[in-house]
Amino acid sequence: MEILRTIFSEPFFVTLLGGSLTASTPIILAAVGENFVESGGVLNLGLEGMMIIGAFAAFVVALITKNVYWGLLSGMFASVSIAVAFGYLVIYLKVNQIVAGLGIYLFGMGIASLLFRIIFGREFPVVQGITAKTPIPYLSEIPYIRSIFNQHIITYISLFLLPVSWWILYKTSYGLNVRAVGEKPIAADAHGVNVYRTRFITVMLGGLLAGLGGAFLSICDLSFFVDNITQGRGFIAIAIVMLAKWNPSRIFYGAFLFGICQSLTFGLQIVGLDVPREFILMLPYVAVIAILTILARNTHLPGAFCMPYERE
Amino acid sequence: MNVIEMKGITKRFNDLIANDNIYFDLGESEIHTLLGENGAGKTTLMNILSGMYQPDEGRIYVKGKKVNISSPEISLNLGIGMLYQHFTLVPTLSVLENILLGTNKKFFLPKKEAKKKFNEIAKQYGLHMDPDVKVWQLSLGEQQKVEIIKLFYQGLDVLILDEPTSVLTPLEIEDFFRMLKSMKESGKSVIFITHKLKEAFRISNKITVLRRGKKVEEVDLENKTEGKGKDKILNQIVEVMFKDVEPIEEAKEIPKRTMGETVLSLEEVTVKNDKGLEALHKVSFSLRRGEILGIAGVDGNGQKELAEVIAGQRKVSSGRISINGTDITNKSVKFINNKGVFYVTDDRMGEGCVGNLTLAENVILRCYKKEPFSNKGIILNLKAIEEYGEELIRSFRVKAPTAKALVKTLSGGNIQKALLAREFSQQPIILICSKPTHGLDVMTAQFILNEIKMQSSRGTSVLLISSDLEEIKELSDRIGVIFKGELLDILSNEKATREEIGRLMLGLKRKGK
Amino acid sequence: MIVKKIIPAIGPIFAILAALITGGIILLVIGLDPIRAYSELFKLGMGTYLGITESLKRMVPLLIISAGLIIVFKAGIWNIGINGQFLIGAILVGWLAPLLINRTPLYLSFLISGLIGFLGGAIWVIIPAMLKAKYEINEIIATMMMDFVAFNFTSYLVKGPLNAYPGRFPQTTIIHLSKRLPHIPFTDIHIGLVVGLLLIIAAHFFVRRTTWGYEFRLLGENKRTALHAGINVQKVIFVGMLISGGLAGLAGANDVLGIKGAFQAEWNPGYCFAAVPLVFLARFNGIAVIPLAYFFSFLMVGGEFMSRAASVPVYFVHVIEALMLLFFSVIEYIQKKEKLFWKS
Repeated sequence: MEILRTIFSEPFFVTLLGGSLTASTPIILAAVGENFVESGGVLNLGLEGMMIIGAFAAFVVALITKNVYWGLLSGMFASVSIAVAFGYLVIYLKVNQIVAGLGIYLFGMGIASLLFRIIFGREFPVVQGITAKTPIPYLSEIPYIRSIFNQHIITYISLFLLPVSWWILYKTSYGLNVRAVGEKPIAADAHGVNVYRTRFITVMLGGLLAGLGGAFLSICDLSFFVDNITQGRGFIAIAIVMLAKWNPSRIFYGAFLFGICQSLTFGLQIVGLDVPREFILMLPYVAVIAILTILARNTHLPGAFCMPYERE
Repeated sequence: MNVIEMKGITKRFNDLIANDNIYFDLGESEIHTLLGENGAGKTTLMNILSGMYQPDEGRIYVKGKKVNISSPEISLNLGIGMLYQHFTLVPTLSVLENILLGTNKKFFLPKKEAKKKFNEIAKQYGLHMDPDVKVWQLSLGEQQKVEIIKLFYQGLDVLILDEPTSVLTPLEIEDFFRMLKSMKESGKSVIFITHKLKEAFRISNKITVLRRGKKVEEVDLENKTEGKGKDKILNQIVEVMFKDVEPIEEAKEIPKRTMGETVLSLEEVTVKNDKGLEALHKVSFSLRRGEILGIAGVDGNGQKELAEVIAGQRKVSSGRISINGTDITNKSVKFINNKGVFYVTDDRMGEGCVGNLTLAENVILRCYKKEPFSNKGIILNLKAIEEYGEELIRSFRVKAPTAKALVKTLSGGNIQKALLAREFSQQPIILICSKPTHGLDVMTAQFILNEIKMQSSRGTSVLLISSDLEEIKELSDRIGVIFKGELLDILSNEKATREEIGRLMLGLKRKGK
Repeated sequence: MIVKKIIPAIGPIFAILAALITGGIILLVIGLDPIRAYSELFKLGMGTYLGITESLKRMVPLLIISAGLIIVFKAGIWNIGINGQFLIGAILVGWLAPLLINRTPLYLSFLISGLIGFLGGAIWVIIPAMLKAKYEINEIIATMMMDFVAFNFTSYLVKGPLNAYPGRFPQTTIIHLSKRLPHIPFTDIHIGLVVGLLLIIAAHFFVRRTTWGYEFRLLGENKRTALHAGINVQKVIFVGMLISGGLAGLAGANDVLGIKGAFQAEWNPGYCFAAVPLVFLARFNGIAVIPLAYFFSFLMVGGEFMSRAASVPVYFVHVIEALMLLFFSVIEYIQKKEKLFWKS
């Protein structure tokens, strides 16, 4: 009974809710980007690697400049550079997307850890005091749900991007091109749509957002960087995109579920439930598998998914 | 002045010369037919004009100016549009979205204006269509109409139509030709690609004949005087198309067969397609030993599902299928193979074989577990497999260097022969053949038709599924017509006229009326 | 004839060289001495008896895992959760082998432990296998998720219930040296190497010369044709994944019984980083895997030496491995363009 009272107490609820939103932000960003990429027919398995590189670059720059915006921008820049390489490989060189994606993933993990060790050795630097949440006046004082309105700007942006990305995909010429190219590229090509450029732009968008997500993770959420900092978030984002059937509003549910699982790490400890830390850490991944099992039947993948386009 | 001039166009694919120094001109308000066998190079030449391919040599002039058409976008900007043989519509998008694809230069999608313009054009040409319907829900004929509306929507002057009548029934073809004439009268120029002589004669102003990549003839049908007429020109063209070093096989007479007891029986078979919609509805028929039953119909009316359900690749929702009395409903492919039923698919590269494996590895698809190809069904006997491949190459005259050649290096006709060889060699009791000669040149086509006839004389019953009326007429004892998943009627070949079959293919005459 | 055999090797060799050179450039940019680093790498890895034997020892899990990977990758099934499957097999053996050793004859306990490892890995892959076989759910995501679960789960186990030394560094009961996998006579290399070599050759044979292997290859090339041929695709997918998962678990058993003697906390050798590029460079050819496995293993061993001697962190090796994969994919593209056809 004590436990229930604690869970439904205002401070606990607020912390859980707020923490969940913060934790889900990197996933939302990565998933929105990946949504574009996959709608165009490309599978970016290197997403995790791009997020890690974004996280690392952002962390280092933020540490040096003590400015959160420089950090975020650097993260996006680093990640987009990798995305450009990936895009060139799979779109223009028509390399197997799974191979290239895994290669980028391994590369991203390796180089981030390598550079971290070389720059910092055995130290454990922490980014402090450069980010702050931006509370929305009045709304951030409503009991229980006030933490929704007391988040980082990036979190608000990520939530805003959800309907925006839907709108781009379904209401603009570019979005139509992306969907056509992902479903049947030869049809788009025959009607004058540049298949390669359309896909390349989606990959770059995906890279930008992945970098922002990783940067947010290291600077705003955790304030530090460790090996494999993303712990599979990139793959979770891919899973969410597939489950959401490319519908941006459903992406939020998946990401938020992840955020709750993350938050529970602290939540359950506060409540006093003596669950081993590792079980809570496992929660997000088990949740993904459970949801995959329940929901992912008859997923319709775009017709040209994972296949390089060749005209002749 | 000529609207289009193509001079000295040459295009090679590895060793194959698809277009060899071709000169082709198109005038204003003209219907110019590009005639030739399957594989003659017509589609390749037009793909160069539409920007999908780049020529290795040659120049192109549009309205007198030299142009370099390096992409479809440039071709469209020049006012040239193409109706491709395999449709370029995106199935999951709506008709309107397909119309807007590539034609809308603005950032937003002006759906209201587009709809208005769409409806106007549709009315003008007498084509009725709901712009919000998703393309996968349309029949092939309707999809073609969408493609045509799209060409008009863009206000193009030059229209290239690649084998447009292949998805139409005889009646629809009449409407189509009427539309072509009105297009010509309104000032457009049309290039009409076909392999059907009769069609070429009906509507063309000019005919250019291609053969094996070369231009072999060009006739102007309007400048010939009356009387000197059509017959002489027809003969001239036939000679130029088919005069050959190797004699074409004559269409063999089907040897006299005694048709025996019922070997295959379908009772009220209902089947769903991949989208979960009903593809076959209460289909019933029976096939006798030694009989060739032709199933005629426009593509997309359930033929694929019919073949698959009998072959074991698809389950029934209801109904019963039996072979010689044994129930084979919903049994596995291997079980059905063991009962002597085999299926030659029309999707050669997508389903029938694996391009990256050798010919030998492909032809043992049905028998790799049997001796001598594998010891105890576990260890492959590579030598026996290779010898078997060589043997089939010889007996079916497949043009391949050895049985070790990768299938993707072979031509379509040779792949089809290999597939046929593979299924025939299993000594089938029942053979399902889907569009066995589509896309093949006349020699290979005749060879295959003769082989099927020979096989039937050995006692094999054949279910011939095709949209090609000539093929059906030449081979079948009885002809059934399938329309929107229903088997409308079964007629004897002798008594059925092309008109009757054509009407049934459109769903016009129903059984019992 | 010999030339025909060499042409396929050009791709991987170029990829390796390109990766090493790029790695050298990265070192330069960071401010480290690539010449010194590489010379330490080669000297210690290849020049010393210790280096060679360590490389041969470390090659074993790569061989076993690759045997499983070439089978499934040929079928177009991407089981990349082998790290997790490895850990589960390893911890099961770490837990149960000490119990067995005291009760059964040594060789029997090895056999049973191997089986336990195999089963552990196979069980860990059942869920992703079923998801793919029945519902066509992407196995890359599913196995990756299981990977993270495995890491946390084994971490919990070894620090908790299976910790044989509470209060000290967490690990399962240490198996005494005399009870570990024996060495090949006259060498310091345990017999796991023999097992590994046998398995990779068996996998090679399986893929090329058996009817089951034919079915796997058919599925990998064109799923529709496999269905057309009547192959039970669901069964092939399921069995293939179980085999690859089981072999990853067996590799875990090998490492516990032959190298470490126990399952230790914070232990995650991450053979996935090496095995996946390895089998790609080998073009899924079991015989080619053998020299490449030695090379990758030698990189890992040399990398560890390098980290101590030339202060280059071990992650450098991971970066090289990733670069090899990427360069290899580019070279495949180039060779496709030049139309150099060959069968691997």
